[in-house]
Amino acid sequence: MKHVGKLMLAALVVAQLSGCATLERVKPWERGTLAKKEMALNSAGLDNALDDHIYFSKEGSSGGRSFAGGGCGCN
Amino acid sequence: MTQSTAAQPTPPTTPLQLSATAYGWLGQFRAMASPCEILLGPCDELMARQLCAAAAAEAWRIEAKFSRYRQSSTLSQLNQHTGQWQKLDSETLSLLQFSKQCFELSDGMFDISSGILRKVWKFDGSDNLPSDDAVAALLPFIGFDRVELTADSAFIPAGMELDLGGIAKEYAVDKVGQLLLELSASVEPSLSLVVNFGGDMLAVRPKPNDDPWRIGIEHPGKPDQSAMLVALCAGALATSGDARRFLYKDGVRYSHILNPKTGWPVQDAPRSVTVSAPSCVMAGLLATTALLQGQQAKEFLQAQELKHWVID
Amino acid sequence: MQLKKLNITAALAAASCALIAGQSHAETAKKDALIEGWEFNSAFLYYKETDRVQAAEAILAARGDFGDDKFLNLNLVVDTLTGASATGAVAQPNAQSFTRPSGEGSYTTAAGETPLDDTFHDTRVQLDASWEQPIAQNLRATGGGHFSKEYDYLSLGVNGSLAWDLNNKNTTLSVGTALSQDTITPEGGIPSAFTPMLFKNNFGSESAYEQAFDQSRADDSDSKTTTELLFGATQVISKDWLMQFNYSWSQADGYMSDPFKVVSVVNAQGITQQNLYEQRPEERNKQSVYWQNKVHMAGTYLDLSYRYMWDDWSVKSHTVDTRWRFPVSNNWYIEPHVRFYQQSAADFYKPFLMQGQALPEFASADYRIGEMDAQTYGVKVGTVLDGGHDLGVRLEYYQQNPTNPGVELPGALANVELFPSVKAIMLQVSYSF
Repeated sequence: MKHVGKLMLAALVVAQLSGCATLERVKPWERGTLAKKEMALNSAGLDNALDDHIYFSKEGSSGGRSFAGGGCGCN
Repeated sequence: MTQSTAAQPTPPTTPLQLSATAYGWLGQFRAMASPCEILLGPCDELMARQLCAAAAAEAWRIEAKFSRYRQSSTLSQLNQHTGQWQKLDSETLSLLQFSKQCFELSDGMFDISSGILRKVWKFDGSDNLPSDDAVAALLPFIGFDRVELTADSAFIPAGMELDLGGIAKEYAVDKVGQLLLELSASVEPSLSLVVNFGGDMLAVRPKPNDDPWRIGIEHPGKPDQSAMLVALCAGALATSGDARRFLYKDGVRYSHILNPKTGWPVQDAPRSVTVSAPSCVMAGLLATTALLQGQQAKEFLQAQELKHWVID
Repeated sequence: MQLKKLNITAALAAASCALIAGQSHAETAKKDALIEGWEFNSAFLYYKETDRVQAAEAILAARGDFGDDKFLNLNLVVDTLTGASATGAVAQPNAQSFTRPSGEGSYTTAAGETPLDDTFHDTRVQLDASWEQPIAQNLRATGGGHFSKEYDYLSLGVNGSLAWDLNNKNTTLSVGTALSQDTITPEGGIPSAFTPMLFKNNFGSESAYEQAFDQSRADDSDSKTTTELLFGATQVISKDWLMQFNYSWSQADGYMSDPFKVVSVVNAQGITQQNLYEQRPEERNKQSVYWQNKVHMAGTYLDLSYRYMWDDWSVKSHTVDTRWRFPVSNNWYIEPHVRFYQQSAADFYKPFLMQGQALPEFASADYRIGEMDAQTYGVKVGTVLDGGHDLGVRLEYYQQNPTNPGVELPGALANVELFPSVKAIMLQVSYSF
């Protein structure tokens, strides 16, 4: 049941982040830069996918950015 | 409207007012000698205020840059340094290139260098017509084909004067529309939006269910009459007319619509033309060019296959 | 005075469009679409290690816009892997012979060389599909499935996630889950835990060898299931700064050993006595925190991320990944990429076992779960072609440096390279259309 405890902790962390109402709110017309594709979190989608697959098969870690998934007998 | 009246420049400090409407929000301010409105669909008040503030800022920016009434404007600077090559920023260059295309498309009738005729034509409702000689003396300084444009500079022959009054407001409507579209895209991608600068307007996004926007526009020449109601789903509307600006002599009404080739008013032009088109600059250009066709205005408009309204 | 060409609408429309869309706030340039409403991204990667494996991988990703913010994402991946891979056996001062995993045939490793099994040859096909759509105001849902098949491996999975925009879309919270079921059917079957690698020469007859080989195999295939949970928070910090924080949790149950990997048993002189097939736990719980920043600074775009991962095998890793895009002249950009990785060893990682000592419950000599650090240095150059198509080329150098987790090296092992570095280059070409 220790997993449940850690999940609760994670949920708390997320709740803390969502409470960032004190952050200066970025106004709609200030989003020009954020709307650029270079600023998308996964702007290098295929690069990331290829990297994730290489590192998944060569190292002992995986995931983090998104689901690690199963999907290959390389590790 | 095409030619600006000799209105006072609008100070950018004109307050922006936001009020709730039955449907959403209405932002109001003044720019380019016109009452300006931003109509928004339902959204939160802060966002409405922010969008309207951005719209006003953009309108005032364009006014400050392209007004011929401001000595410091980019346009005034251009007119003060004729007879030499001048570097242009990309926005000014785009406007001049667009003006050149319009000049060519309209066979020389739409000419942003024709404003110089105001030196002799005073449309004050009086019977003071200029002399033939006075008009003829100005003709050598008219003709946008004599303005040379390169990828980054322009050469305006000495003595000429450019006036963007014929497209600046329509341009501002389109630019503000585009700005609002972008600003709201990530937050409220379906927010209904209309930009209306003194009757030149753009429905940036339609209302849901294709419910039309119903917008009152001033009847050209009859400002006291109740506004005519226009239903607009999407796209732009622009109106050109001679409003109160005319001369009257010996039973002849001289419209303020001047033929740049002769320097004299176009005969038998309709009192007002309203055109619906995808963009406001396009609607405005077509309305103005139609007026310049005089008697052939309706024929010209019919050939465009766009919705239009003509008041004789 | 009359226009020669009466209808000027079309020409005017084009001129107006150029005027309004031409400058400043330029909306994302629309691509010439191959199929209306669909966007395609493709990439081809070539990966080559010095003296070891090489891989080629091709991806085709398609995203269809079905209106009303509904999208269908389809991904097709094909890759092939060939070459030699470390078996886990230690290098020796003398040449060594190994039986291939299938039981058929053998190969020899020269004195002082790290034993590599050169039989790796595999082709994999992977298909992913997901559908995303809004399900309420500010709430988006995504559901998808995944299929991956290679010669000896099959993976099937489903996943779903929800993303909730709040705070005027300045904050996005997400939660997702994924389930996958993997089945491995290795050639020659699944070796039983710690059974020794057999040699045909040690048997009197072919049938005696085959009988012994079959007895050393537990099963033809085995499987594992993985459950993952992902919690994410994305926050707009300023108009030039976007941040993401993820916490992920995964639980895998089932067969997680590598049926091709062995652990050498050495005597006090460091000489290999036999090689035993490895055995890993049948349960693994992994967690990670991932923190990503996208920052716009002076016209450049920085992507900086950090991941800390830990699991109940005692593997802990730190990953720092940086991509920094510098736009240069008309539509071109250059993007350096640096990645640092460091991991600690799994508690059952044993580079070798000592003869005469009791067998541990679990042991693996696979350097990939041993102690190591790794670095990647790369650069990508890209451009936007006419019609809005992106073309990019990426070249990277990757080096892994396995290290000794503090094991004393007896006799001959002190004089051979037990933790060799692995060096690789990657060349990728990507194109969107």
